Amino acid sequence: MSDVLLSVENFSGAFRAADGRLTPVLHDVNFALRTGAITAVVGETGSGKSLTALSILGIQPATFVRTSGRILFEGRDLLTLGATALRAIRGRRISMVFQDARAAMNPVFTVGQQLAEVFRLQHGGSRDAAMAKAIDALRRVSIPEPERRARQYPHEFSGGMAQRAMIAMAALICRPTLLILDEPTTGLDVTIQSEIMELIVELGRSAGLTACLITHDLGVVAETCDAVVVMNAGRVVETGTAEAIFTAPQHAYTRKLLAASLLVPA
Amino acid sequence: MPLALMILRRLFWIIPVALGVVTITFFAARVFTGDPTELYTPPEATDELRAQIRERLGLADPLWVQYGKYLSDLLRGDFGMSFTTGLNVGADLSDRLPATLELGLVGMVFGVLAGVPLGVIAAVNRERWPDFLVRGVTLGGMALPQFWIGLVLIWIFFVTLGWLPGPVGRLPIGVNPPPLLTGFLLIDTALAGDGEKFRLALRQLALPALTLGLTTLAPVARVTRASMVEALQSDYIRTAIAMGHGRRVVWFRYCLRNALLPVVTLIGGVAGHVFGGAVLLESIFGWPGLGQYALQAIERSDFAALQGFVIYASLLYVLAFLAVDVLYMLIDPRMRTP
Amino acid sequence: MSAPHILESVAGHDATADTPTAPPSPAVQVAVPTRRRAPLSWSMRIGLAVLVFYCAVALLSLVWTPFDPLSPGVGEGYMPPSREFLLGTDRLGSDILSRIMAGARYDLGITLVAVTIALVVGTILGTIAGYYGGTVDIVISRCVEVFQAFPGLLFAMLVVKAVGPGVLNIILVMSFIGIPDYLRLSRAEIRSRRNWPYAEAARMVGNRSWQVAFRHLLPNSAGPLLAFTSINAAFVALVTASLGFLGLGLDPNTPEWGSMIARGQDGVMTGEWWLSFFPGLAILGMTGAFYLLGDALSDLTDPRRRR
Repeated sequence: MSDVLLSVENFSGAFRAADGRLTPVLHDVNFALRTGAITAVVGETGSGKSLTALSILGIQPATFVRTSGRILFEGRDLLTLGATALRAIRGRRISMVFQDARAAMNPVFTVGQQLAEVFRLQHGGSRDAAMAKAIDALRRVSIPEPERRARQYPHEFSGGMAQRAMIAMAALICRPTLLILDEPTTGLDVTIQSEIMELIVELGRSAGLTACLITHDLGVVAETCDAVVVMNAGRVVETGTAEAIFTAPQHAYTRKLLAASLLVPA
Repeated sequence: MPLALMILRRLFWIIPVALGVVTITFFAARVFTGDPTELYTPPEATDELRAQIRERLGLADPLWVQYGKYLSDLLRGDFGMSFTTGLNVGADLSDRLPATLELGLVGMVFGVLAGVPLGVIAAVNRERWPDFLVRGVTLGGMALPQFWIGLVLIWIFFVTLGWLPGPVGRLPIGVNPPPLLTGFLLIDTALAGDGEKFRLALRQLALPALTLGLTTLAPVARVTRASMVEALQSDYIRTAIAMGHGRRVVWFRYCLRNALLPVVTLIGGVAGHVFGGAVLLESIFGWPGLGQYALQAIERSDFAALQGFVIYASLLYVLAFLAVDVLYMLIDPRMRTP
Repeated sequence: MSAPHILESVAGHDATADTPTAPPSPAVQVAVPTRRRAPLSWSMRIGLAVLVFYCAVALLSLVWTPFDPLSPGVGEGYMPPSREFLLGTDRLGSDILSRIMAGARYDLGITLVAVTIALVVGTILGTIAGYYGGTVDIVISRCVEVFQAFPGLLFAMLVVKAVGPGVLNIILVMSFIGIPDYLRLSRAEIRSRRNWPYAEAARMVGNRSWQVAFRHLLPNSAGPLLAFTSINAAFVALVTASLGFLGLGLDPNTPEWGSMIARGQDGVMTGEWWLSFFPGLAILGMTGAFYLLGDALSDLTDPRRRR
């Protein structure tokens, strides 16, 4: 299909223990992200969804090794790229929003500094211009008083505000083709969660962004996503449009997940 | 201004700590070591002379009178007279302070400047040969007594190779010191424009400073390594990599600053010890600093000198940790907003 | 189901994100057994082996050494290492190997006993201060602060000079110096756990407060305390050798390693390096082993350092 931006093909991997033994954790994972769509990868803790997402950017834990498969992005296998080529893709082409944004931001630099430095790294320009861009990005994710906030440190942000700043960095400063969101709303208050999701959808639509949302929360998925990939214990158990998954789940595990999320009676 | 307030509060805390330290030293020295009159009296002295000397040394009064007198003198900035040198202890201390500071500063700067990069190299090459090498060397640096390292360096560079001068103090025997300005020989000789003496002083300083540097380097590198390893696994470093930052920027800009906090604590502790007079180091290299002074004061039951030194050393210790806390605030913004 | 769960929690993700169907076990509990199963680290093995060797040498020296370590003149003075005197002889013609072997009794013995005393006393005081808090805590903590502002080696020198030489005196001084560190560590450990649910539970089922503190809370701190003890032992060994080097504490003829180095100091200046060199290596082996063991112990007890 021509409009597939990224595809994970037969991807298997294992953790290597200190004594060299391998424990397989991903088994033949297959899914594709279509250009312009928001795709959700859903599964409970330990299903391997985060690991797959981290592997796309080559930031998986050092003990994780791929045993087979490839991850194609614009025709190139990301898993075989060298360090320099991978760095050219990180941030610029594929960017990532992490869970727990307060911990994912560097505690000893101001939020503005961090955004500005990423801007300069990717687009160049002067320090002042980059800081102006950073403040602008914070404004666009609806952070009040962005000038003052830019001078604050991550620990002075609430979880929701920090996640907005993180999204500003990954989506607006980097301006990537593909944005991966790894559990962006986990750990936030329910009301804040929906605000953040609205922001993501809005940015996705307005910037024509392709997004991949990693989550365990099916409620979030129903309202926002176009396609859904369900993972369990390192395997993809079901893929389909959001509508199909929610109205006619094929796999028993998907039904269990739906039932557990209390949205659909089992 | 929370910072200024904190500094003031901490400076205020010095008073009870100093008082405690003075009191302990005062009584411990007198109770433990007894009456030192004999040490300063010729054996053939008459009882009358002995009593006179005892009076002059200020040992004739009851203990608590001596204590009160000492405290009131201290409040006026008078540290009392040293039995050994016959001079005021304050003057004695400030005489010897530059020697200790000069050696301590040069040695520590070397140790930190070498130790931090070594720790970073080990951390980013974790479980590979540079890591094992650094860990091996630093283990040796921590497990060996400083005086032994000093002796071995003397044996190598002075006795065997003859590259550096022997352990006879700050200047070779027979060389007059430059005009006294700061007491730091390297600065004084430079100010006097005396290139030859500057070179001589530097050569004398080389071995003791190297010894001190090696024993500083070891713990600094180890602590740097450990905290770098931890910081490298943090979420924010993963973010920096995901945003496309290069390895060196990640290590030295984003990671190192976070990893420096434990290193700063360590350096504060080391500084407290080093500037408090590295007794053994100074005794091996014949270095006329505070450590030697303290050693002599203990050996000769020189009460005022001992007390003066302990006050100085403990104040320095408190100040070193105050400096650590201020640095903490500068490095880590989380410390600024409690 | 459980295998990927362990692994993903090791990777540091999703540790708190529980879905309704996720197993209730938090990551740490699952991860612990995998760590326990790991083989003993190399640093642990080397450290233990070396210490056992030193203990064996110390015991052996009680019944056999190549020459009498205390008698001078078993050879000529200043003899370099040879087949007869493997590590040479010192100024008085004593055999250096024999003296180093006998020295293990002093350096290792003093270190082990002093550290044990400091550990026990410091931990008891620290546990009391940490658990009960209040006035007791303030008094104990302030005393500790004053003592810590005191230069340690200087204090040792002063007291040793005062109480006179002798193995027992050195042991007492060294353990006294160590107490504040153990006190601070155990106090912090207990304070951090005092209000944990299991402490609450232990109180609720009717344990007395000392039982909660010493039998329920303290054992949980055994790991960090033991790791610190091992590292502290290295420090104590170095200070003991330093006192010996300064000629304080023991009779100058005692085959303690620090005093042996001091006795050989003049020899170094004239090229007779072996007098001071070999006792230093003996110290290196012992303190290095303590450090290795301490590192291995803190790796075992601090999961963050093993990730």
